[in-house]
Amino acid sequence: MKYIDILESRLGRKATREEIEAFTVMWSEHCGYSHTKGYIRKLPKAGTGGNAGIVPLDDYHFLAFKVESHNHPSAIEPFNGAATGVGGIIRDVLAMGARPTAILDSLHMDKIIDGIIEGISDYGNSIGVPTVGGELRISNFYKHNPLVNVMAVGVGKNEHLIQSRATSPGQVIVIFGGATGRDGIHGASFASEDLTGEKATKLSIQVGDPFAEKLLIEAFLEMVEKGLVEGAQDLGAGGVLSATSELVARGGLGAVVHLERVPLREPDMLPIEILISESQERMAVVTSPDKAEKVLAIVKKHLLFGAIVAEVTDDGRYIAKYKDEVVLDVPASLLEESPEETIYDYTPSSPPKFKWIRFKNVDAHDVFERYDYMVGTDTILPPGFGPAVMRVKNSSNSVGYSLSIHSRADIGVQDPYWGAYITVLESVRKTLSVGAKPLALTDGINYADPDIEPMGLAAQIRGLKDACENFGIPVASGNASLYNTYKGKGIPPTMVIGMVGRIDNLNIPLPKKGPIYAVGFSDFKLEREKELLTEITKIVNSGRFVLSMHDYNNLTTFNHVLNNLGLHMKIQPPRTEPVHQMIIVFGEAKTTVPSRKIGYCF
Amino acid sequence: MSIPKAQVVVYPGSNCDRDALWACKYVGFDAEFIDIHSDIDADLLVLPGGFSYGDYLRVGAVAAREPIAQKIKDFVDRAGLVIGICNGFQILVEMGLLDGALLQNSNGRFLSKIVELEVLDNTTPFTSYFLKGERIRLPIAHGFGRYVKTCDVNTVVRYVDDVNGSDELIAGITNANKNVFGLMPHPERAIEKILGSDDGLRVFLSAFNYIRNNGGVRL
Amino acid sequence: MQKYNFVIDIQYKSNVRDPRGETIKRVLNDEYSIPVTSLRLGKSVHLEIEAESEEIALEMVKKACKELLVNTVTETFEVRKI
Repeated sequence: MKYIDILESRLGRKATREEIEAFTVMWSEHCGYSHTKGYIRKLPKAGTGGNAGIVPLDDYHFLAFKVESHNHPSAIEPFNGAATGVGGIIRDVLAMGARPTAILDSLHMDKIIDGIIEGISDYGNSIGVPTVGGELRISNFYKHNPLVNVMAVGVGKNEHLIQSRATSPGQVIVIFGGATGRDGIHGASFASEDLTGEKATKLSIQVGDPFAEKLLIEAFLEMVEKGLVEGAQDLGAGGVLSATSELVARGGLGAVVHLERVPLREPDMLPIEILISESQERMAVVTSPDKAEKVLAIVKKHLLFGAIVAEVTDDGRYIAKYKDEVVLDVPASLLEESPEETIYDYTPSSPPKFKWIRFKNVDAHDVFERYDYMVGTDTILPPGFGPAVMRVKNSSNSVGYSLSIHSRADIGVQDPYWGAYITVLESVRKTLSVGAKPLALTDGINYADPDIEPMGLAAQIRGLKDACENFGIPVASGNASLYNTYKGKGIPPTMVIGMVGRIDNLNIPLPKKGPIYAVGFSDFKLEREKELLTEITKIVNSGRFVLSMHDYNNLTTFNHVLNNLGLHMKIQPPRTEPVHQMIIVFGEAKTTVPSRKIGYCF
Repeated sequence: MSIPKAQVVVYPGSNCDRDALWACKYVGFDAEFIDIHSDIDADLLVLPGGFSYGDYLRVGAVAAREPIAQKIKDFVDRAGLVIGICNGFQILVEMGLLDGALLQNSNGRFLSKIVELEVLDNTTPFTSYFLKGERIRLPIAHGFGRYVKTCDVNTVVRYVDDVNGSDELIAGITNANKNVFGLMPHPERAIEKILGSDDGLRVFLSAFNYIRNNGGVRL
Repeated sequence: MQKYNFVIDIQYKSNVRDPRGETIKRVLNDEYSIPVTSLRLGKSVHLEIEAESEEIALEMVKKACKELLVNTVTETFEVRKI
């Protein structure tokens, strides 16, 4: 059934033009998750959901983290697409009450697209959040569909954790940040037949303003510290409509939104345009009426625009008005109840014999150097050694955390289930290799066309689910980017996994002079994995540096960072299957799995 | 005798302010943040790194003309110590408190890495704990660090290898009175070994002890 | 063959946001009390080119713009002979 028909049957009448516009946005794949929410429901969850994933780090702090994609905008305009991608995910993490502390990116391109690197670098550096890691995968698979997946991480104090919902009628919603313009609004063609917004092209390019974002970060954190924030949500896809309706719908509440109060930067905007504009660098804050003036004072102090735009009501209706004219009046929950596409059951089979599909071996070092990885002085392990390691200053128990971002599209293209499963396992190995205990993961689903090929999507998510359940890693958050196709041809199923782990001992072993060993197995047998993981932990605890990578022929970047330490290595890279259970250890280690010397570090 | 006091000026867009405060406190300063409307009450003023006003017009241009600019100039005239790091250096140059200009890196790109520097002048209040000619390692992270010499200047630290095209490899300078120090590298990011280098610690220690031994300038 | 001089004025297209220009305009309005109602920040390229005629020179300059100097997705340009 077409979405417009579903909408009209739910409304019980023909939809108005404004309703069509609003639901085109809210029921688009990007906002509504129609093809994936059935699957996502079945994943083992961590935390309380909301905008970004939350996991406890220690008794006083939580980690907020999520991965988000900005693939289609980056294909059209690489610099701004990548930059606004960073902006969006940073706000997602911020909205939980956490100060953003790190960015990692997973880039799949057919060649190094300077605009994308520049976009992430420019935005991340300007707002003062270090980019501490990432992966760069170069392959012709992505010639017309580059993938830009950005993960943001933040640390917050438990007393500052913010819900992403309104809790009682009588609260008000303040929208603040940059002024609103016509960014992201599609042209005059209303999608009256097909409401899947992901397929609709956006005519105006979104441009990022990192200065405004930095001001927004400081303003919001000041509000949080002063106890003025009762709920919050960042404004991303769907703008004011999406943020305000989600805030109230989650609690079964309603809202009256006064669109004429939204600070504008373009004259003569239509009410519906104000409602769905995707102007960047804006946040919605739920607060009590008596606190709202203080919120606005902080907004003004930080040179931003802001206004009390909505009241929370108890009747469950979402009413958007422009002065006295009612622009939209629908049940708030209807906006969130995007139709669910059929989900399919996938029956996993044992891993096939995989072929090597090697992505290009690039020295990512040149790319790292364009990202400030040190700002904040909490980066303990810089890019290139494996996962990043960060510390939390002022924590009495000197706790730290590990961060990794990883994908195996080369396996995903051969078997989407195992592509996802192996990515999770390899992420666990990487986390353990720096002495961290895995806490949770965030998943970035990047897929081609699920209407044409639904089983690949089902397989990919099933692989994620099974790996998480078998190895005890809950899913804290995630993102899905579908329809990455060009003239009918799609990208390989690319599951990007971001994982965080907790570290109690910040003295991470580093590479040192001496023999280098290959430890483990050159092929893969699932039943051996738990033993491998135990061995990795043992070896790290004995003070030896462990490197866990999927392709030991691709060590250019690692070699470069090793040289930066004044060290060199001469090894015979171990030959492995494309999926294997092998790690490299600097120094001899007592271990129950096979181990042989492959060279030395000097 | 009072504890030496440091104030870190936070401009809209500064982002290395918390790192700078941490470094000041680490060596014993009574340290706090101030904003562009505040009065100055310190022995050491720190202009931190970042992207004040997004660096949207020229680096440091808007920040250099804020309400606090005149108060900083008065503070300098009173022989107060000022250290400008990265964006802070750019602001001091735009304010006319330091000579020269800071333009885009010669390769047109932002560069973030730890580099080797040579200390040329250890007679300043900021470098007394270094040896003349000593080689140290400090991180840089900037896109506009190419120092262009417009007149003779007192070079305090220089890059050992060319990283951004700076004239005479100049990385940090002082004014004639040596109470204003501007440098592109980040000493506040190099105060603990676990971060890769602790050579920056001595910049803050030198300033702290200079104030302790000579008295500060607080009114 | 003769040398021809051109100035290329590069600006963001009118439907592309210019946050830098907006921010600087606000500073001029709020902090310098100069009532600027619009400010857009662009780039200016001065170039000298050798060609057999002005028409050919202009064609080459336009080619340089379209292929390198200008991001034709977000920017527009104007060429003036000087």
